[in-house]
Amino acid sequence: MTVSVEHSDELPIMLPGVTLTSLSRDIGGTVLRPKMPLWWWIGFLVSLALLLLLFVSSGWLFVAGIGIWGVDIPVAWGLAIAEYVWWIALASGGTIVSALFYLTRSPWRAAISRIAESMMLCAAASAGILPILHLGRPGLFYWLFPYPNVMGIWPQFRSPLLWDFVCLACYIAMSVMFYYTGMLPDLATMRDRAETRGRQIFYGIMALGWRGSAGQWHHYKTVYLIMAAIMAPMVVSVHSVVGLDFAGGLTPGWHSTQFPPYFFFGAVISGIALVILLTIPIRRAYALQAIITEYHLNALSKIMLTGSLMLGFAYVWEAFGPFYGSEIAERTMFVERVFGMYAPIFWATIALNIALPQLLWWPAVRINEVLLVVIALAIIVGMWCERFVIVITSLHRGHLPSEWGNYSPTVWDWATFAGTIGLFSTLFFIVLRLVPIVPLAEMRELIRDSVPR
Amino acid sequence: MSEPTLYGIVAEFPTPLAAVTAARELHDNGLRRIDAHTPYPVEELDEIVRSGHGTWLGIATLGGAVFGALTGTFEQYWAAAISYPLNIGGRPYNSWPAFTVSSFEVTLLFAIAAGFAAFLAASRLPLLYHPVFLAPNFARASQDRFFLSIEARDPRYDAATIRAILDRHGAMAIDEVWG
Repeated sequence: MTVSVEHSDELPIMLPGVTLTSLSRDIGGTVLRPKMPLWWWIGFLVSLALLLLLFVSSGWLFVAGIGIWGVDIPVAWGLAIAEYVWWIALASGGTIVSALFYLTRSPWRAAISRIAESMMLCAAASAGILPILHLGRPGLFYWLFPYPNVMGIWPQFRSPLLWDFVCLACYIAMSVMFYYTGMLPDLATMRDRAETRGRQIFYGIMALGWRGSAGQWHHYKTVYLIMAAIMAPMVVSVHSVVGLDFAGGLTPGWHSTQFPPYFFFGAVISGIALVILLTIPIRRAYALQAIITEYHLNALSKIMLTGSLMLGFAYVWEAFGPFYGSEIAERTMFVERVFGMYAPIFWATIALNIALPQLLWWPAVRINEVLLVVIALAIIVGMWCERFVIVITSLHRGHLPSEWGNYSPTVWDWATFAGTIGLFSTLFFIVLRLVPIVPLAEMRELIRDSVPR
Repeated sequence: MSEPTLYGIVAEFPTPLAAVTAARELHDNGLRRIDAHTPYPVEELDEIVRSGHGTWLGIATLGGAVFGALTGTFEQYWAAAISYPLNIGGRPYNSWPAFTVSSFEVTLLFAIAAGFAAFLAASRLPLLYHPVFLAPNFARASQDRFFLSIEARDPRYDAATIRAILDRHGAMAIDEVWG
C-alpha cells in the first residue's frame, strides 16, 4: 500500500515522535490500565442512567401498549420511526469513513476508522431497537423472519418495510465481521501486553491465536480489501432502502423517486458529524493529538461540507417537486410544512444542515475544535429535525381533509429517545474500556511510510 | 502433554529491513520452512517466505455471493409463488423485481461471511497454541519487533549455518524453541 504522506496538504498526517513502541504502549495503555479515569466513570454512569430510562420506558410500553406514545391515526409513525431513521443514518457514517475511504486509500482514514466503526455498531443497536418497540406487538417481531411456521405463511417479501428489515439485519451481521477482522491483530497486541491473567485469557481467546505470520498478514490484507469493497455498496444500499420505506408509500411528501439518494446524503452529513463529535473528545481525553491531527479534522470537515451541499440539492428538489407536479395534496402538504404548525422545525432543518455548515468553507473553521463540535452537534440536531419533518409533517396532511391531524410527542416518546441515547453511549463507553480505539496495525504502516527508509 | 520436540530457531530483529535481508539469505541457502512474524504486513517478507499466492479467498467470497443470490431469490420465489401465493393487485406471483433488494443484501451477507470463514481457514485460526509463542520476547512480534522462524523439519536445517546467517544480519536474539 502506498500512502503519499508528504505532498497531501500542509497539515501533517502524524506528528513526529510516534514510533512503533510508543504507539503500542500508549494505545495499549488506554485499554489495559487498571482503573479508568474519572471522565470515563462520569460518562459511563450518566449513560447507564439514561439506559435505565430506556428499560423503564420500554417496560411500561410493553405493559400499557403503544398508546402511551403520541402516535395515532393519521400520524401513526411518530418519534420512534423518525429516530430509527436518524440513528441508522448516524450508524452509516461509520461505515462510510471506514469502508469507502479504505478503498480510496485515504491516509487519514486509518487513525479514526476504529472510532467510526465502533460508533456504527453502537448506533445500529439504538436504531434496531426502535422499530421493534414501535411494532405494537413487539413480542411478535420474529414474524419478520422467513421461518417455517404452523400458520403456513411468510413475510410479505414485496414490501419495502421487509426489505429494510433484511437490509438492517444483514448490515449489522456484516459490520460485526468487518469490525472483528479489522481488530484481530490489535487484539493480539492487547493479549501480548496484558499483565493480569484474566485479560491475558480474554484477549488471548479474542485474538484467536493471531501471530502475525507472513501468510496470515497476506490473507488478512486480501480479505480486508474484499470486505471493504463489499461494505461500501452495502452502506449505500442500507440508507437507500430506508428511503424506499417512505418512497413506497402514497403519502404526500414521501412518494418520490429521489428518496434513496436523498437519505444517503443525510447519512453522509450526519454520520460524519457524529464521527467528528466523538473524535474530538477522544483525541483530547487520550492525548492522541500526535496521531489524530488537524489533517483528520480538515478531511472530515470537507466531507461534512460536501454532504451538506448534496443534502441541500435534495432539499431543493423536494421543494420543486410539488409545484412542478399536479398533485394538489403534495402542494397543500408542502405549504403546511413550510408555514404551518411544524414550520419552526422545518426551518431549523435548513438552518442547521445547510446554512451553518457553510462556515466550513473557511480553512480555519475546519481545524477549530470548538467550532467543529458546535457545527457537528448542530447537524446532528438538524438531522433529527429533518427526520421529524419527513415523518410527521407528511402524515399530518394526507390526501383528504378528513384525514388531517396533529401529533405531539408524549413524555414517553421523549423518555424512549433519551433511552436510546443512553444505549448508544453505554455501549460506546464499554467499547472504550475494551477495545484499542486506534487501529494499531494500520497505524504502524503509516509510521513506516512516514520515515525515510 | 507429550515430550517437547525441537520446533526450530526463532530470531528477533529490530527493523523490517534486517529481517528481510536475513530471510533472503536463508532462502538462497535452500531453506523453505521459514516464516516471518511482524507487527504489520511486510510485503518483501511475504514474497520471500511464501511460495505462491492462492486466490481462493476471492473465490470463496464469490462462492458465498452466488450461494446467497440463489438461496435469497429462491426463498422469496418459493414463498410468494408456490407455498402461499397471494394475489396483490393482479400482479404476477413471481414479482421478481420486488425480490431483488432482499436478494442483494443476502448476497452481500453470504459473500462477507464466506470471505470471513475462508480467511480464518486460510490463516489456520483459531489456533490458540503455537510453538513460536514460546520464543523469548515473542510478545513484541505484535508490537515493534520483527521475528523470523526456521522450522527444524526443513531438510536443509542446520543450526550452526542458520545462526551464522541470522547473526550476520543483526539479529538481537537467536533462540532454539522446543514445543
